[in-house]
Amino acid sequence: MPNKPLERRPILDPVVADLLAGMEQKQAESQLPRRVREKKIRERQKIRARRDQRVTYDLPPFLRQRVKELAEEHSVPASQLVTLALMRFFEAYDLDQIDLRELKQPSRSPRYDWNLIFPEKYFPNDEKKKPKK
Amino acid sequence: MNIVAFANQKGGVGKTTTAVTLADGLARLGYRTLLMDLDPQGHVAFSLGLEKSPGLYRLICLEEKLEKVVIQARPNLDVVCSDKHTEKVKRQITLSDFRESIILDALQSTRYDYVLMDMAPSLDVLHINGLVASDWVIIPTRLDAMAVDGVKEILLTMGEVAQRGYSFKGYAILPTFFDRTTRETLAQFQEIIRAFGSSVWPPVPQDTRVRESSAYGKTLEEYTSNSPAMVGFQDGQRLVGGYRQAMQKLLEMTYAK
Repeated sequence: MPNKPLERRPILDPVVADLLAGMEQKQAESQLPRRVREKKIRERQKIRARRDQRVTYDLPPFLRQRVKELAEEHSVPASQLVTLALMRFFEAYDLDQIDLRELKQPSRSPRYDWNLIFPEKYFPNDEKKKPKK
Repeated sequence: MNIVAFANQKGGVGKTTTAVTLADGLARLGYRTLLMDLDPQGHVAFSLGLEKSPGLYRLICLEEKLEKVVIQARPNLDVVCSDKHTEKVKRQITLSDFRESIILDALQSTRYDYVLMDMAPSLDVLHINGLVASDWVIIPTRLDAMAVDGVKEILLTMGEVAQRGYSFKGYAILPTFFDRTTRETLAQFQEIIRAFGSSVWPPVPQDTRVRESSAYGKTLEEYTSNSPAMVGFQDGQRLVGGYRQAMQKLLEMTYAK
């Protein structure tokens, strides 16, 4: 059987994709029986209540892995480990033990003026050799 | 210099508001910006609190220099206004040689960072002139069947212009008057995303303060900088769409090339 030809999928703006998914979900839910719909609403309210605690940042994969492994080793939630790490960072920052100016390089992005360039010592050896994408 | 046209053959989709708001935003960021009104209705001047005037007529028909016909509307923001005399510009262009590129030629030696053109909802020589001059086209559209059809029409026209050797660097579709509570909005939103994918920008919400701002002759940033049309609507934790996000998309689009 011949292989199905590859189809190029349009890559949506992530904001547009999220918005569309949310609208489609709401419309699909409006067709459900009342009890299921009420359950979904309760679930959504629970998620909404947690929203202030949630945020998404891009991290290097090795850091994500490190957090996961340490959380498993100590059997604690990964979020609490990250909270601790950030608290320690801000403590050090407030005591002038961390100087962001040393890491700043001009950015060509229209959105940001600077990028932080991290010293190689922070990266594991196999990450250092990876070519920049 | 980046030349950006705001076009849709359907009227009342937010072309002028989008052009004025983004031109004001670029000027506030320090870019030297020229906003040209190619619509005889002359509503760019109206939106900025200026008197309508025959700037485009003087530029094309009387062949006055661009510096002479522009009006400084705000710091960093110059405007070539239109009024009913713009109808005469169309007749003049029709009778000219090399008539497709008259506006492009008029802009050749200017020193603006951005030139934005608010196009009329029509398909005439002035419209073609605007498209020929443009590097980028932003197509504001309401999410209703007729306006979305207008998007298809303008893209067909752009294809014809490109075939004549005036290529575009890109285009974007900006949904306006976005009301996410109706089924028709969702159906049309799905339709344009299916057809145009990544060219669809986050939408600008329906916001009655837009109408108020033009009545006062103020830009949205001046009149109501925190309104939904500017900052977007709340979707969970974040704000989605609005002209500030469109501004970022415009900068990203023009910087990327």
